[in-house]
Amino acid sequence: MNPFATLGHDIVTLWNEYAGMYLSGIWNTISLAFICTAVGCLIGLLCGVLNTIPYSKNDPLPKRILLGFVRLLIQIYVEVFRGTPMILQAVVIYYGLPYFTNYAMRFDSIWLCAFLVVSINTGAYMAESVRGGIISIDPGQTEGAKAIGMTHWQTMTHVVLPQALRNILPQIGNNLIINIKDTSVMSIIGFTEFFGVHKNVVGTTYMYFPSAAIEMIGYLSLTVIASVILRQLEKKMEGSDTYELTQDDMLTLTSGTYRLDKKPEDIAERNLEGGGQR
Amino acid sequence: MSEPILQINHLSKSFGAHIVLRDIDFTVNSGDVISIIGASGSGKSTLLRCINLLETPTSGQIHYHGTDVAGAHVNAPEYRSHVGMVFQSFNLFNNMTVLENCIIGQVKVLKKSKEDARTNAMLYLEKVGMAPYVNAKPRQLSGGQKQRVAIARALAMQPEVLLFDEPTSALDPEMVGEVLSVMKQLANEGMTMLVVTHEMAFARDVSNRVVYMADGVICEEGSSRQIFENPRKQQTKDFLSRFRSN
Repeated sequence: MNPFATLGHDIVTLWNEYAGMYLSGIWNTISLAFICTAVGCLIGLLCGVLNTIPYSKNDPLPKRILLGFVRLLIQIYVEVFRGTPMILQAVVIYYGLPYFTNYAMRFDSIWLCAFLVVSINTGAYMAESVRGGIISIDPGQTEGAKAIGMTHWQTMTHVVLPQALRNILPQIGNNLIINIKDTSVMSIIGFTEFFGVHKNVVGTTYMYFPSAAIEMIGYLSLTVIASVILRQLEKKMEGSDTYELTQDDMLTLTSGTYRLDKKPEDIAERNLEGGGQR
Repeated sequence: MSEPILQINHLSKSFGAHIVLRDIDFTVNSGDVISIIGASGSGKSTLLRCINLLETPTSGQIHYHGTDVAGAHVNAPEYRSHVGMVFQSFNLFNNMTVLENCIIGQVKVLKKSKEDARTNAMLYLEKVGMAPYVNAKPRQLSGGQKQRVAIARALAMQPEVLLFDEPTSALDPEMVGEVLSVMKQLANEGMTMLVVTHEMAFARDVSNRVVYMADGVICEEGSSRQIFENPRKQQTKDFLSRFRSN
């Protein structure tokens, strides 16, 4: 028999039997990836804002010490969570917390633990992306905002971050797609996301390859859909390329807006009338 | 009649070992239009940026209505909302339309309602001739138009003093006129202005006082008439003669 036909047959058999499990696995993967990317972005934005609070030597000492301490803390957080495998972070947090607290503190919900680990991990990556995004914005934007009396927080939330966010949107997309795939390591603590389902299914059926084929198709579909959504979002954030003048008062029209449908003398005359300063 | 708004005493600024400003003293009275002239690198822009606390002075005081704003424990954002600034590179918010640029400060800093802010913003956009462009984004405007919007944005905060940091230096020659005429109009209406400029005609005809800076110090200060017609210092004469010969 043709191996492809066999594969097709096996996939159909598996799907008929375990469709519910696969679908719930997909659902767990999607929800974990989306929510954790969003929360990770918020953590990253917060770190970005805290990291860029300006201070000068004129500021009181406690403020400078506090800000220095905050920066150090963020630095440590980023290095630790970016520099260790997420699969180990999950194990350490899930099993380590009860270990150290003599089972006083433990995760009753695996979901909560997985959510925490992936969010914190994404946050560490995003903190650096946001920092890069903020640096990429012309300092003139910050000065313009400061000059009209806006505080650091207002400057960040209204002027710098909206622009930085647009610049780092491709990076956020990267993180989302990485999360869709990498949440699969959460099966180590027993979280039944899409890949966890595969482990359960092959445990009873021994149909390793057909199940893996289903997984491949599933993951690829998810990431392609995520890419399309992100492209659309990017386009939307770009905004309109054109604008409309709100009044057609001839006096306020400036050069370049005339239609060249008259004799040159007429145009010269109209420029004299309308092109001048108000 | 005129009371000092800003009084600058012994202001110095250095970047590392490089001293940019040395012991600057001068006063800005209500209604003054002061032009600060001088060669590039003489510290004019740094002085302006110190006055708006965008640079922290190394030493000295800046008294705003008698309160020193250069020291610690000063609410810099609050102070800056009274002292407007127009930059050489416009610094309009690229993520907002022209109207939003003029509204944001009023709503967030002055806590005005959206409607009030809008009415007020339109008033000043009308004044600078940019009212038809309220829906445009900064990247869609020419340099002169951007600068006029930047002036409207500063005016919408209804500041007591307006600082201009070489407002026409980044503009194409044909756009300089439109910005200068807006500034002239403001001066005629009694706005207190401090203008760092290379436009000698503006300094001579519009401002009532001129400050000539060289190497981080105020070399000569006087009425615009005195500086241009009868400069006392040789340095000032040399500087001005370079412009006359052009």
